[in-house]
Amino acid sequence: MSFRVDRRHFLALAGAGTTAAALSACGGPDTSGSSATSAAADIDFKDVKPAASIDFWSNHPGKSEDVEKQLVEKFQAANPGIKVNLVTAGANYEEIAQKFQTAQAANSGLPGVVVLSDVWWFRYYINGNIIPMDSLVKQLDINLSDYRDSLVKDYQYANKQWAMPYARSTPLFYYNKDHFKAAGLPDRAPTSWAEFAEWAPKLKASSGAQYAYMYPALADYAGWTLQNNLWGWGSGWSKGWDITCDSDDAVAAMQWVQDSVYKDKWAGVSSKDSSADFGGGITSATISSTGSLVGVLKTAKFNVGVGFLPGGPKATNPVCPTGGAGLGIPSGISKEQQLAAAMFIKFVGEPENAAAFSGATGYMPVRKSSDMTAVLAKTPQIQTAIDQLAVTKVQDNARVFLPGADQEMAKSVAKIVTQQGDVKATMGDLKKTLQGIYDKDVKPKLKA
Amino acid sequence: MSAPAPLAVTETVGKPERPRPFSSQNLARTIAGGYLPLIVATLIVVLPLLWMVLSSFKTPGEIVTTDLKVLPESVNLDNYSTAMTTVPFGRFFLNSAIVTAVGAAVKVTLAIMTAYALVFVRFPFKNVVFILILVALMVPPQVAILPNYVLIAGIGGKNTLWGIILPGLGTAFGTFLLRQHFMTLPASILEAAEIDGAGHWKRLWQIVVPVSVPSIATVALVTIVSEWNDYIWPLIITDRPEVMTLPVGLTLLQNSEGGTGSWGILMAGAVLVIVPVLVVFAMLQRYIVAGLTQGSVTG
Amino acid sequence: MSETTKARRRSASSTSQPERKRPRFSGRTRRDFLVFLALALPNLILIAVFTYRPLFANIQYSFLDWTLGSKTARYIGFENYATFFGSDDAPRVLGTTAVFTVLTVGVSMVLGLLVALALNAKVRGTTFARSAVFAPYVLSGVGVGLVWMFIFDPGYGALAWFLRSIGIASPQWFNEPPLALTMVIIVYVWKNLGYCAIVYLAGLQSLPADVMEAAALDGAGAGRRFLSISLPLLSPTTFFLLITTILSSLQAFDLIRIMTPLGSGTSTLIYEAYMQAFGSYNRAGYSAAISVVLFAILLVVTVVQIRFVERKVHYA
Repeated sequence: MSFRVDRRHFLALAGAGTTAAALSACGGPDTSGSSATSAAADIDFKDVKPAASIDFWSNHPGKSEDVEKQLVEKFQAANPGIKVNLVTAGANYEEIAQKFQTAQAANSGLPGVVVLSDVWWFRYYINGNIIPMDSLVKQLDINLSDYRDSLVKDYQYANKQWAMPYARSTPLFYYNKDHFKAAGLPDRAPTSWAEFAEWAPKLKASSGAQYAYMYPALADYAGWTLQNNLWGWGSGWSKGWDITCDSDDAVAAMQWVQDSVYKDKWAGVSSKDSSADFGGGITSATISSTGSLVGVLKTAKFNVGVGFLPGGPKATNPVCPTGGAGLGIPSGISKEQQLAAAMFIKFVGEPENAAAFSGATGYMPVRKSSDMTAVLAKTPQIQTAIDQLAVTKVQDNARVFLPGADQEMAKSVAKIVTQQGDVKATMGDLKKTLQGIYDKDVKPKLKA
Repeated sequence: MSAPAPLAVTETVGKPERPRPFSSQNLARTIAGGYLPLIVATLIVVLPLLWMVLSSFKTPGEIVTTDLKVLPESVNLDNYSTAMTTVPFGRFFLNSAIVTAVGAAVKVTLAIMTAYALVFVRFPFKNVVFILILVALMVPPQVAILPNYVLIAGIGGKNTLWGIILPGLGTAFGTFLLRQHFMTLPASILEAAEIDGAGHWKRLWQIVVPVSVPSIATVALVTIVSEWNDYIWPLIITDRPEVMTLPVGLTLLQNSEGGTGSWGILMAGAVLVIVPVLVVFAMLQRYIVAGLTQGSVTG
Repeated sequence: MSETTKARRRSASSTSQPERKRPRFSGRTRRDFLVFLALALPNLILIAVFTYRPLFANIQYSFLDWTLGSKTARYIGFENYATFFGSDDAPRVLGTTAVFTVLTVGVSMVLGLLVALALNAKVRGTTFARSAVFAPYVLSGVGVGLVWMFIFDPGYGALAWFLRSIGIASPQWFNEPPLALTMVIIVYVWKNLGYCAIVYLAGLQSLPADVMEAAALDGAGAGRRFLSISLPLLSPTTFFLLITTILSSLQAFDLIRIMTPLGSGTSTLIYEAYMQAFGSYNRAGYSAAISVVLFAILLVVTVVQIRFVERKVHYA
């Protein structure tokens, strides 16, 4: 291997470089500065015929592939002119978002309907990637008032409806009834964390399980479930657009969490999926999504109890966030496709279809009038999730509206509960990071 | 250090540093110095794979438990049927085979031709070309995702097998390796051919290629392996099961929520991806390892 | 000049050295020019379009404030680079990259050489062991990552079970960043060790037998023979391995992606670049700047290695 880069070669190199640079000019974003935020205008769908075929991008949340297939078939039977291709566009919400945004960059291969999670839809809105659904709701006569109000409101911004609820969940408190009984505890979820702190040593002593309680895996949306603790302690990740994660109350909440792991030693942190750890008997209790319910009931070899999330010293109600995913319609496709997409979204939201989806997964039935008797006969625990909906609270802006914030929260929580990092310093750093994201990525793009 | 006196090399059986084959001392030393490291190294490789196979037969109840048992209660194929009905593994397998065969064949051919040109054909900017190839070796493939996606999707390559294959066809690695090897070929073998009036094309395929089979095998192996295992590009450019490859399909088995006890299914999926490669590898290992070993030292 | 001498001269020059200047554009030269293009151009065009074009596109993107998914972007000069080097990101990411690269390359090469020595022993069964040791190298990173994730699982993994049985609680491999990095390094070495071992084995087997015998006759012990004769003679092999393992280690992706999807503790340059664009941040411009930094490092490493090698390593 011997060569030398002399000037002649270097010039040739540079020449090749220029050619490649010229080649690369095609594709990529427009830098001319004319910020095109036109998607906000309502689109008129009068006299538009639905497209003959659309793609439905899903990650099949809660192992819903089978029930999604059934819904697609039912829809096609009811609307013979429209074919819906169910596409597995990722294994989780992040992968589906990755694919959706890559497709945006190429402006091709976009789906008609896309599953979007609580932390993603707002970014799509900011980037103008999804359309407001108001005119479609009107034209297709979608009965918004029969959807559960808090779930519909989650997707409202700037007086427009940006998505419709689909695989919607709340966290649930799961407990091992057998362990609770052996410890002489009442057969219910604790009403407050203080109460659980009293129970925990008894549980640990009698159950033989490694932990009395397990915090959800940090990679598994830790920023979501921990809102419960922050709210209970009278704080939150943010209040409006004010980042409050370094407030005294927030620090106290996280300090309590850290103490439960390091000082009192009755709590652990799951490494992958706390519902799996719970189902395997490693812990006597955990908090996990309602979407895990059917799966947990299938694996657990003990009696599973579920209850509301415990309250904290400053607030007991509401301390439960909503979450999960909705369905949106991309802006970069034809009106015909958008109309067909809206028809499909309307269809999966019909009361009986919402009930079927709920029964197969454990997700919330998104419609008030869904007939849940059959589902509840099989999985009575879903009722708890439905009841808890009345005491849910809209998530903190910092978590759902700041790109990458959820991940930053997970990292900070990791520092606190797995490396025994200083709580105040960690939360202070987190605030700086979140503030930076807001100032740089969100604030300039919000229309006043 | 005790230096044994230099001995004349004879066929004497009783040489001090070479004890009789079956003496107990020799046996112990052979085991300690020869077999023990071999056995340890082999176990470290084999055990995780064995664990994967055993776990793929276990029910969720047998996996999600702290009371671990090494052997499954029965050879339970549920995980396999779940894995294969959740995603079409047969189709993935076929797609992977096509992508690998076509991609590797074209890449190796291109590498041979380019390397030959770089070594045996006169051209004023050969070193510049070689530097450009060397530099290309350093462009991480992940960097190319977005621009290549825009291009391939723009010309209709999304959800097609050619869309998976095309961007990877240019080969810097193979060219680099084969060039290094061709440089070591003795000039004499080509001289005779040139005197006989054989053109470049003939010299390439009838002389250079036949004497370079081990190196070409190396390049082919590395290419086949990387094509078969390629993950991020097929993941990005496909979203329909009909055109997905095995590694992409395998990640589909993972699910975000409600993944309780899914390890058994994931292990079954991993078996379906890993074992075919192991079988092919076991059949061809003699050629593969020989090719790799002979090819690399010349670099 | 006779046909023969010409041929000899060309063969000689082309096998090793940059050729001498000769009159341009003789008929012969032109024909060679065309032959060269015919043979090399398809590959070169593919490399230009699918490797160089993206590289330059990335350099362009790195000067933009561009959110992935957005149709518009703003030119901001070197701000992305300034942000990277001015924030905590640079020490964290560069540190992780350095630890990952040094450990994976170092451990794979040292263990690879040891395994190669074991495989070089004249005992039965080396053929099987050789294949076994090499096998992980050909396996899918996705599959391997999943299998090891299950083994490392602190709840139900085989490792946790083993540790429990000797009275130790399993470390939180996935939650604690330094442990996550350790875990990924272990699996990476497991997967790539065989490659180093096989290449070293080939190096060992190609050592000239007469030199080794002569050394043995001179009374050099096995250890001494290895250090003062085998190792220096293996230097081309070592160089070859060093360059290939550093390059592949800096580009290691699949295992990190599968085993630690958030990249906490395992954010090497390549993974950070990926996460910034395709993870939840969507900062495509910033991500491009990080990939350019990675590319620059790869370039420097290679140039240094080439310079070093021209002087120090002897080639057969």
